[in-house]
Amino acid sequence: MLNVRSVSKRYGKTTVLDGVTFDLDAGQVLAIVGSNGAGKSTLLKSILGLLHFEGDIEVDGISVTRQGQQARRRIGYLPQHPAFHADLSVHETATFYARIRGVPVAEALAAVEAVGLAEHAGKAVGALSGGMRQRLALAVAQLGDPALLVLDEPTAGLDVGARLELRHFIAGEQERGRTVVLSTHWMEDVPAMADVVLVLDQGKTSYFGPSSTFTAAASPQSRMFLRLNGRTDEAIPLITSLAGTVTHEGEWVAVTCLAASKAQVLAALFGAGIKVLDFRVEDAALPSTIDTGGRGGLS
Amino acid sequence: MTSAMPVLLKELRDAVRSRWLTAFAISFALVALALAGVQQQGDVGAQGFNRTTASLINLCLLLVPLIALAMGAGAIAGERDRATLATLLAQPLTATQLLLAKYAGLSIAIWMTVMLGFGVAGFLMALFSPVTDFGHYLLFIVLAGGLASAMLSIGVLISVLSEGRAKAVAVAMLTWFVMVLFYQLAAIGMALTVTPSGEALVLAAVLNPVESIRILAVLSLEPDLQVLGPLGAFLNTEFGAGRSAILLSGATAVWAAVPLTAAVMLFRRQDA
Repeated sequence: MLNVRSVSKRYGKTTVLDGVTFDLDAGQVLAIVGSNGAGKSTLLKSILGLLHFEGDIEVDGISVTRQGQQARRRIGYLPQHPAFHADLSVHETATFYARIRGVPVAEALAAVEAVGLAEHAGKAVGALSGGMRQRLALAVAQLGDPALLVLDEPTAGLDVGARLELRHFIAGEQERGRTVVLSTHWMEDVPAMADVVLVLDQGKTSYFGPSSTFTAAASPQSRMFLRLNGRTDEAIPLITSLAGTVTHEGEWVAVTCLAASKAQVLAALFGAGIKVLDFRVEDAALPSTIDTGGRGGLS
Repeated sequence: MTSAMPVLLKELRDAVRSRWLTAFAISFALVALALAGVQQQGDVGAQGFNRTTASLINLCLLLVPLIALAMGAGAIAGERDRATLATLLAQPLTATQLLLAKYAGLSIAIWMTVMLGFGVAGFLMALFSPVTDFGHYLLFIVLAGGLASAMLSIGVLISVLSEGRAKAVAVAMLTWFVMVLFYQLAAIGMALTVTPSGEALVLAAVLNPVESIRILAVLSLEPDLQVLGPLGAFLNTEFGAGRSAILLSGATAVWAAVPLTAAVMLFRRQDA
């Protein structure tokens, strides 16, 4: 359904994408993972034909470079920071994009309703919250029933509830047979949302394969900093018994553990009566090397 | 082109909603009426449209390029500023279609502004005085529209080449200053210091659509072009009124087509 062949993109001497190649079948959900600047958005924009690149990308056998208009008819796009004309209302925006896509206006209204914006249909887009704007973008992305949905960092800035909602949405789209390509730098999103993973490291493919293999090999790590009420000597062995490594950094206790174990660590400390005066968590980081144990499709 | 039609209609709608474009239309109408009124008071009997038309030429040569350059400058750079360009180009719409739809929408909007402003004034003038020379007045409206199309084309090229709207509008204003104010002063200065040949004068006229339209407007009122001095004499003897009109109209058409074509080619090569 989606064929990406030796795609490279350079800005002057800087190589942003370097020979990325993969194929995706209809109905699959692909998560593109990588740190900031790894080339995720560049790859997504290349799939849409928004950038000039070397190589070729085909959607349903249609080249996005040579037949961009026909290819984009099959693609719905959710940008990382959805932007619309602020003076248009929600209804006018959906209608505007429906007309561009050659879709009946009734479908635009149904899409607005489906994302829960019916009661805000008359409101100017400029007056919408970030979350509402993202919903509108999702409605616009679905106009014309595209076979491929391209979602750029769809979970960025979402609260837990909205993230779960998005996961349900993607699962629903997959059930309907739609192919979804999404980018994220949150490794925790991967097992919940995708069945195929592409890891980009400085524009190069460092892993492409099933998300189950990837998740086992590259469990997301978190670094949690805790400021305790002086019972550090008791806390350290307790935390060490649960997860990861513990070090002292000034008045902070630094814990490196599986992202999924964070809550367990906090619960154990509370259970032992050790008060956590303050804490902060660093983003889940991508391990510098991913050992797939020969199970993944390293390319 | 069906996909691009909503973009064209949106440009038109935005122009109608835009207060300053309406203000320009009202200003055109009021100034045209005021000039007609002043001339009616100063003379006995009906003077027709010719004097009003002649008085309006300079106003038109100042304001129409200003509107067209400013609106053209915002066409693509504005979308870039709002970050809506990527969303638009992610639709089944080519870069060429998007740009041409925007140009067409803005062009129609400015033509409507000019026609509405001068048209309303012409209608009111015709109500209060006998209609003479109305053809010249209509031709003047068409010339104003032609000038708008050429300057809009330059404005759109500036927009494609600019990173943001503020920069595009600044460059557009500088272009307006050079083409509308500085160019004529420079031409006068040149004429005073060296005696240019007739060919050089014609070249100076066709290299600037504002000058081409100025001469075309004069040509429509005074076909012998004596009021234009050496340039008028050269055009009259070498080309005659008809061929001069074709040359100057052709030059304006080239000014409308070439920057727009360049804008399309550059826009297609840019990343969204």
